[in-house]
Amino acid sequence: MEFIRDYGLILIFFILPVIFVIQPLFLPRIEEKDEMLDRGTLKRKKLILYRQIKELEMEFDIGNINENDFQATRTELKQEVSAVIAQLNSK
Amino acid sequence: MQSNKKFMVMIGGVIAVVIFWIGWVSSNPADEKAMATFVSVEQLLDDNINKRTKLGGLVKDGSIVISETNYLDCTFILKEGHTELAVKYDKTRPDLFKDGAEVIVTGQYLDGTFYADELQTKCASRYEGDLRDENAYNLTEIDT
Amino acid sequence: MTPIAGGAALNLAFGFSILTVISLIFYTRSGDQRLFLVGQRLSLTISFFVFIATFILSYQLMISNFDIDYVARYTSLETPIMYKISAMWAGQSGSLLFWLFILSIFATITVIQNQNKHHGLMPWVIITLAVIQMFFLVLTNFVTNPFMPTDADFVVANGNGLNPLLQNVTMAIHPPTLYLGYVGFSVPFAFAFSALMNKDTSSLWIQSIRRWTLVAWLFLSIGIILGGWWAYQELGWGGYWAWDPVENASFMPWLTATAFVHSIIIQEKKDMLRVWNMVLIILTFTLCIFGTFLTRSGVMSSVHSFTASALGPIFLSFVFIIMIVSFGLMYIRKNDLRSPRKMESFTSRESGFLFNNMVFVVMCFAVFWGTLFPVFSEAVRGTKITVGPPFFNQINIPIGLILLALTGIGPLLAWRKTSKESLIRNFTFPILSGLVGAAIFLFLGYKGYVVISLSLCVFVTATIFTEFARGIKARTNKFNESIFVALWRMVSKNRSRYGGYIVHLGIVLMFVGFTGHAFDKEKEFSLTVGESDHVAGYEFELIKMSEAERANHYAWISELRVTDHSGQFITNLRPEKRVYFHKNPDVNRRQPHSELDIYSTMNKDIYSIFSAVDNENGIAFIKIMVNPLVRWVWIGGYILVFGTMIAMWPRKES
Repeated sequence: MEFIRDYGLILIFFILPVIFVIQPLFLPRIEEKDEMLDRGTLKRKKLILYRQIKELEMEFDIGNINENDFQATRTELKQEVSAVIAQLNSK
Repeated sequence: MQSNKKFMVMIGGVIAVVIFWIGWVSSNPADEKAMATFVSVEQLLDDNINKRTKLGGLVKDGSIVISETNYLDCTFILKEGHTELAVKYDKTRPDLFKDGAEVIVTGQYLDGTFYADELQTKCASRYEGDLRDENAYNLTEIDT
Repeated sequence: MTPIAGGAALNLAFGFSILTVISLIFYTRSGDQRLFLVGQRLSLTISFFVFIATFILSYQLMISNFDIDYVARYTSLETPIMYKISAMWAGQSGSLLFWLFILSIFATITVIQNQNKHHGLMPWVIITLAVIQMFFLVLTNFVTNPFMPTDADFVVANGNGLNPLLQNVTMAIHPPTLYLGYVGFSVPFAFAFSALMNKDTSSLWIQSIRRWTLVAWLFLSIGIILGGWWAYQELGWGGYWAWDPVENASFMPWLTATAFVHSIIIQEKKDMLRVWNMVLIILTFTLCIFGTFLTRSGVMSSVHSFTASALGPIFLSFVFIIMIVSFGLMYIRKNDLRSPRKMESFTSRESGFLFNNMVFVVMCFAVFWGTLFPVFSEAVRGTKITVGPPFFNQINIPIGLILLALTGIGPLLAWRKTSKESLIRNFTFPILSGLVGAAIFLFLGYKGYVVISLSLCVFVTATIFTEFARGIKARTNKFNESIFVALWRMVSKNRSRYGGYIVHLGIVLMFVGFTGHAFDKEKEFSLTVGESDHVAGYEFELIKMSEAERANHYAWISELRVTDHSGQFITNLRPEKRVYFHKNPDVNRRQPHSELDIYSTMNKDIYSIFSAVDNENGIAFIKIMVNPLVRWVWIGGYILVFGTMIAMWPRKES
């Protein structure tokens, strides 16, 4: 009896996962959601750049960076951000 | 590029110095206890090695003798294969030290006796088999 | 459910791991999204089967089914339920399954968390994780199966029981935390490998693994500290670190991981050190696998390796395959790994990080060298030379002190280039405090490394406080906040930075504790009731000896009255000598154990061991050690954990 129960359980535990796994194959072919994904990546980039600017400002306030470097790096970062924002808006 | 090159040279220099230093320490340790040569009991007896060595083997059944005057002083016979050697040890003995235990001793050989200042029994993270008679279930550790 | 189901679950998991890899490789060729979905679900299914197998094994351990060899080996009917479960990671096959179990948890989290994120990276991340799972599934299926039945022609009535050394709460949690660390680095490694496959070597992949890396690093650190704590509390040799191969095995990945945690900051901020970061994460992961191998295969401990284990060659091959494939891929991608920027000055934060990285890696190499020295010397000279703690100390103390100094110097350097004025401004106070400290310690009569170490501790602490003070001052000036508001906002807005400084503070405290080791004192003596002896200015009187029979052991209890040199009472210590399985008719199966007792203060620990008892004459053999400053190591550990938690606490994405 126990033997049968075991194999019954194995069958249940085997068949359910298999159905779970192959189910997507019966879906219609899904289109690539490239655009959406790109937007996500760009948004993350934007966030990271914003954080970098904030941190740069703090480093400057503390005195870890001199005026020249601060201005140069900040301009650089701001340009990168505006490029990312432009890309986001064009989508 | 100029500055990157300078860094590379610097890093290379530091690494060279460190490797040299580690090599130097390996061949001239500051403390004589830093290194010991692992030899077999047979080799030790044959070559009469008098420098610091490490030996491994089993404690011969019934060979542990504890001094009547000082409980910490003890002698026992170390068996490796068919070769036997008397070992003297005068520190706290590990809990797993007993007849038949597998031990590693470190010390010096002098006139027929091995004076050990370190005695290790099997280490705890690999205690498989410590608690059992290996032959009881006739198990091999790994079956491929 | 019976063991058959456990074995079957492992078989299925193995099969599904192959399918996962196949389906995702097809996906990367065809781009059919349905295949990607299938791959994700297959990956979840591998983990599902692993969970089932783990559940079955722990259930069998709980109900003491001695038909399973593993259960009979590591538990007995008397084993308390908690340790029946912890026996899961007590032996070889169980602990490999447990490794796999944790990996499966992490894989599941990674797959679910990134369902809609990192779409480009995920296929190869899942493939990499599935391949690692496959490796451990090969081991648990075909090499050392935890569900192997007992190979006895009689009914096993009772098992061996768990080694009493492991019947300890710390020992029940130490391996899992260490494993969480070891296994945790699989995820950053998978991301790194995937970034290489996708030629996406910029800083985005680094961003996505920062937290994982910190989590893994935290667990590895806790695991190592708990291991030391367990050794100190249980093993009775009075120390917490012995440079034992197994300890080194956990310390090496910790060193490279710590270097990695630092150098990813540079890639995040400056997009430099791309190659270096790849190398570090590959090394860290490889060392984690290598560490599992060293711990489990038994190659290192002695010439009398107890098991001619088939595990060794398999693990080593896996390590080599990982290294060859990853470094080979790095070579193919060398053009994508070229950083757009370069170092500009020696006195910059960047170069500070670079040096700290180098020192970490050098230290790792030194530990590696010492650990494998017996193997090397046997291969080269034919004699097996083992190296002991003095060797490791001789090499690692100076390296450690350089690291400690860099901990202080690094944060004070500015990005790109530090001007002379700011060098002077930033370093004056900390260096002065360090020098004052050195003068005081010299005046107190300390010498050599002790003075260097303690004054460096003062120096680093001073730099950490200046960093906090300057940050707070900048905020109070700019936003007119009160000190506490400024501190709160500053830390919560720059968690990784200030969390990191707190971790540094923890490390400083640990160094204070390590330094105390230079003053350890010990003595062994024998006493009868009423007699006394003294160590390091303390008097120890044996006031009582008693015996007790407890649930799974028999104990001799000694009671020592400790007084200081002026006769002032300090404490009573009650170290015990125990015999576990004392009812076993086979004397060889009974196991003696010394349960020690420690009196601990900030200043020093008094550590007592009841090493032996002479029943006939009523003599107790006692070993006493006086270990200064040990507690600082544990306190430093707590602070390290606290700081890491701050650094990895998630912020709202807004």
